[in-house]
Amino acid sequence: MSGTTPKEIETRESIALLARALRYVEPFRWRFIGKLLIGFVSLAPMVLIPWPAKILVDQAIEGIPFGDSLTPLPFFIEPLVAHLYGATPVEVVFWCVGIQAILMVLVGAIGTSGRENDQAEAYLSSGHDTATRTENEANAGFSMAGGILGLFDFRWTLRLTQDLNHHYRSRLFERIQALPMVSFDDERIGDAVYRVMYDTPSITNGVYRILLTPILAVAMIFVTSAVIQAVFGEHPVLVWSALSMLPLSFIATTPFAAAMRRRSIASRSAGAESTSTVEEGLSNVLAVQSLGGQAREAKRFDKDSWDSFSEYRSVVRAVIFAVFAAMIPALALYGYAFLYAIDLVIEGSISRGDFLLLLSYYGIIFASAIEIGALWFRVQSTTAGLQRVFFLMDLPGETDADDATDTDEIRKSIRLQNVSFAFADGTLAVDRVDLEARVGEVTALVGPAGAGKTTLAHLLCGYLTPSSGEVLLDDVPLSRFTNESLRRQIAFVFQETALFDDSIADNLRLGAPDATEAEMEAATALSGASEFIEALPQRYDTPLGRSGSKLSVGQKQRLSIARALIRPSSVLILDEPTSALDSKTERDLARTIEEVGQEKLVLVIAHRLSTIRNASQILFVDDGRIIERGSHDELVSRMNGAYRRYFELQSQGAV
Amino acid sequence: MSSIQAEVRSGPKKPEYARLGTGERGDRLGFRLVISLLWRCIGMLRPVRWHVAALATAYALIGAIVLVAVVVLFDLFWTRALVGDPLTVATAASLGLDTAISVDVDALSVEVRRNIARQAMWVAGFIFGFAIPAGILLWYYQVWILQRVNQHLRVDLLERLQSLSLRFHAENRVGDAMYRVFQDSAMVTQLIDVLFLTPIFAIFRFIFLVMILVAFDPILALLLLCTWPPAVLLGAYYSRRLRIGFRSAREANAGLTAHIQETLVGIKVIKAYGAERREQVRFEEDSKKAFATAYSARAMLASFGVFTFWIVGSAFLIATAMATIDTQRQLALLAGTSLAVAGMQVWNLGLYSAFKFLFGNGTDQVRLLFRTWGRTQDIAIGLERVFELLDLEPEVVDAPDAIELAPVQRGLTFRDVAFRYRSDRPVLENIAFEAGVGTVTAIVGPTGSGKSTLVALLLRLFDPDSGSVEIDGVDLRKVTVDSLRSRVSIALQENVLFAQTVRENIRYAVPEASDEEVTAAARVACADEFIVGLPEGYDTLLGERGAKLSSGQRQRLSIARAVLKGADILILDEPTASLDAETELALLNNLAVWGRERTILQVTHRLATIRRADSIVVIEAGTVAESGSHEELMEGGGIYRDLVLAEYTAPARAVSA
Repeated sequence: MSGTTPKEIETRESIALLARALRYVEPFRWRFIGKLLIGFVSLAPMVLIPWPAKILVDQAIEGIPFGDSLTPLPFFIEPLVAHLYGATPVEVVFWCVGIQAILMVLVGAIGTSGRENDQAEAYLSSGHDTATRTENEANAGFSMAGGILGLFDFRWTLRLTQDLNHHYRSRLFERIQALPMVSFDDERIGDAVYRVMYDTPSITNGVYRILLTPILAVAMIFVTSAVIQAVFGEHPVLVWSALSMLPLSFIATTPFAAAMRRRSIASRSAGAESTSTVEEGLSNVLAVQSLGGQAREAKRFDKDSWDSFSEYRSVVRAVIFAVFAAMIPALALYGYAFLYAIDLVIEGSISRGDFLLLLSYYGIIFASAIEIGALWFRVQSTTAGLQRVFFLMDLPGETDADDATDTDEIRKSIRLQNVSFAFADGTLAVDRVDLEARVGEVTALVGPAGAGKTTLAHLLCGYLTPSSGEVLLDDVPLSRFTNESLRRQIAFVFQETALFDDSIADNLRLGAPDATEAEMEAATALSGASEFIEALPQRYDTPLGRSGSKLSVGQKQRLSIARALIRPSSVLILDEPTSALDSKTERDLARTIEEVGQEKLVLVIAHRLSTIRNASQILFVDDGRIIERGSHDELVSRMNGAYRRYFELQSQGAV
Repeated sequence: MSSIQAEVRSGPKKPEYARLGTGERGDRLGFRLVISLLWRCIGMLRPVRWHVAALATAYALIGAIVLVAVVVLFDLFWTRALVGDPLTVATAASLGLDTAISVDVDALSVEVRRNIARQAMWVAGFIFGFAIPAGILLWYYQVWILQRVNQHLRVDLLERLQSLSLRFHAENRVGDAMYRVFQDSAMVTQLIDVLFLTPIFAIFRFIFLVMILVAFDPILALLLLCTWPPAVLLGAYYSRRLRIGFRSAREANAGLTAHIQETLVGIKVIKAYGAERREQVRFEEDSKKAFATAYSARAMLASFGVFTFWIVGSAFLIATAMATIDTQRQLALLAGTSLAVAGMQVWNLGLYSAFKFLFGNGTDQVRLLFRTWGRTQDIAIGLERVFELLDLEPEVVDAPDAIELAPVQRGLTFRDVAFRYRSDRPVLENIAFEAGVGTVTAIVGPTGSGKSTLVALLLRLFDPDSGSVEIDGVDLRKVTVDSLRSRVSIALQENVLFAQTVRENIRYAVPEASDEEVTAAARVACADEFIVGLPEGYDTLLGERGAKLSSGQRQRLSIARAVLKGADILILDEPTASLDAETELALLNNLAVWGRERTILQVTHRLATIRRADSIVVIEAGTVAESGSHEELMEGGGIYRDLVLAEYTAPARAVSA
């Protein structure tokens, strides 16, 4: 299922991944546009904010009368100026501070520098590894503004992020469930968990980085430049020098993009690997403890975990290199602009109040330019996540044929016609088998371990597709039916019992959601589970604990059988149902099987012959082939028959 | 062995094994407890303390340099270059300027100012050109240090998890444990920042700034200090709510992780029973809940930040208003006379800007501290979840004077052992029997009778409530767990294989075994022939849950694993359940030969296996019902005889409806 994550993604492919992420987000476009609009709105005050401070300095303190301002005032300031014309310093102060206070409440800004500017955010601390950083990405809420507008913006953004992430996590989970059954055998569960939890937020993160941030940054630049132009129009040098940071940062950071991508992939893979190690160890705690494998597991985890940390550090290094590269032109440019502005003041072209203003605006353009320039670099860490998510999403799920129909009750039989099956690695598990299991009969598959009995059962149900030959349901090829309807007709008791951390009743109802209590009791009575269930204080409401670990293996088996019996299906298949049961329980179950076999199609796989003695048809399987078939009496009477030998070996020691 | 859980009902004997972290209970931490929690973590810094010291020193050094530089540069750029105030003699000298034009004038000329600006630029470039890269490298160093700390914590958590008894694991979800190991433990990386760097530097800076501001105008300093009470009140209001919110968010997310894990473990059954839709609905519910809790917690945090800004912002505005008026009126500074040396006597534009800068810096520190405090609540919750786990005492620990278990000479004894999980339902009572070296003992009985618990006691997965389990007369509680488990090896009923090669799986308990030893063990377990037939023989990779092998093959691998350990005592829990009669016989023969000098215990139903045992112990309803050899028990006409007869007579044909 998960396969391996490739070590490299080509540039072209990463662009394709990002484009795909954009397409995925398309259904949410209105909310994105809403976010952009809010962003634009929060820009407006940015322009207004520095002016009260400037007026305070120039007019209130230095007493420069309004008309004598060295630089033209933008149009939106004029009403204020008009009002304040001729006011006393105290009044000027009062008004300016008042305006700043209002702005503070509305948009959380007093001035334009970082300390005078609030941005609503709720970033929580993360660790130094990819997975914990992703938690913040999954719940990204940010705003350029503070105050009331900022809070509103924040909530809007957070909702958008979460809805997107919820949507895609659910889709991915759905895809995983839809994978063919065989994919699940080779799987590393921890890796799948990692993809659902920590790789899916890459979708929103990627889109934000490509779409939201640059657009808002461009808007910011545009607005700020316009203001500078209006006010400091005679000094375009400043604007252009700030803007040149864009190509410069692009040139500085892009060479590191490929490295960044590679490292991010490695970091995610390593993180997923360590998750799998932990999951495996914890799921099998019993085995680990009994076998004394704790030290070994700890050592293995130690290595995997530190590997993932190291990979993360290599990502950090890539970032540092890029930062160093970009820093040189950045510092030089900023220094140049700084001196230029000082010169302007010294010359007397602009006032000292203007100086502060200018620097603030310059800083804004500067930062925005870097954001856009370094965009390609920064987005690389998300392409790794995107690759892992889309890989999983693209795996072929189970599909029904185009003309598939639903099947009803199976009335006659299921037949294998010259069926062979080989595993992916070439081993032939089933070799040209013909068999028919009929409704109203118990068919038994017997034979040495590894003979292919379970595989045959899986083929009969359609869990596996034969490599050659056909499976026929009431003489119609299996492939003509929808998977869902087919499965509804089948109740399969697997060898490895799988119960869930729910109540007994919920477990029983897995395949029969509408089962009544009476039906549950009947099924458990048949399977021999009712006696221990009745003995429990909470009876059917008893929670089973993780994987049903509060029950013994025998009890689990009986419960699984009850679960299958409750299901209103026409086929019942039991794979080694009695291996963990004592003889008495086993005998009862054998009787149950026969009873059920009168109405349904029952297939039993067993080693213990007492389970299948009364089967209508016994098929002796060895090496993927059916060696003998017949009833017990017929087979036992064959001299030197394989079944007879098998039977004799088993009952050696009987009284 | 998993039948142990058979007798585990809910209502555990020891409350510490209850399900962790189901948190509809309110917040249990208070301010004091949060601090104490953080303090507790300091111990985790021990292994890296020298690194931390080096880091802190370096930060302090750079911080000091930068601070001084900023003060000097500010003076140069603003007061001298921009405003044009004359220099002090010292400054003029260090800049290489003639005092005539720089000190003794009323205002500096344009050229001088330009000159100063450029020189200051060089200084700035030099200092920042050094400080910024140094800062970045220090930050990288910090990342490395913190990763080390996080790593230790992760491994500690995993080790603790694996040493906790099965009762804990039955009650708690794998996904939740995973969340604690990865997400919650990551909070430890914030320690240095949150406990030291941020508060210490912020508070120091704050105090420093207040002191300077006092020199300007004590009212202003007072204003700055006045930001604290409302901020603290706000913090008090939010702290507890934030903690509750963060706890809910973490638990919901851990729950989601657990849900995914559990679904994947049982996916085959889910698909076979067509329950995918049901699982999808439940997943989406869990996911929505996870997001909703995260939403409310973060929205609260954002509001906290915004309101804090309003508080400090108001103070800033009021102070600005006052300072503007002060400057406009050119009032004298409080400490005017003493600062005259530095050229600061009277409120002027330069000082005005300086004041704004300093006051703003002061409010910055306050914002930083409270913002950090908000995040600290989340950190505290994460760490609390970590400690919940670390504080659990494993049930079985080595006694302080435990000795190593010597090679087994005589055998094992169960001496009047009793064990119960719940106070009213005993699982085992009056268990007494012996198994000597060189014998095979079969333990037989109906399911749920306590057989597997008995075996668990031998492995010291639990300790008996009364009586004792002894090997060579030594009570198991007197020996170290490790030495015991190295002398006892077990093949489990549910054959667990790991996602590694066949060879590695067999070697699981004995990683240093040689390939020949592995092959030899496989031969004893009748596994060698099929292994050799696999695509890559012993190097074939097995899938999760060992799914590519048939159950019989898995069982034999499991036995090979137990055999390889070469332990003195071998326990086989249903060793032949999945084997056909022929293989079973061969296996038992091999084991008989291999086990000549050892003690073998078999828990089983299979008659062929039982028959060959030297002694049979029949357990029913938690006590020893009968014991003896096969012949003896058959003659005795008790339960054993019933069981045997049941196995080999045909069940009566079901009557047709």
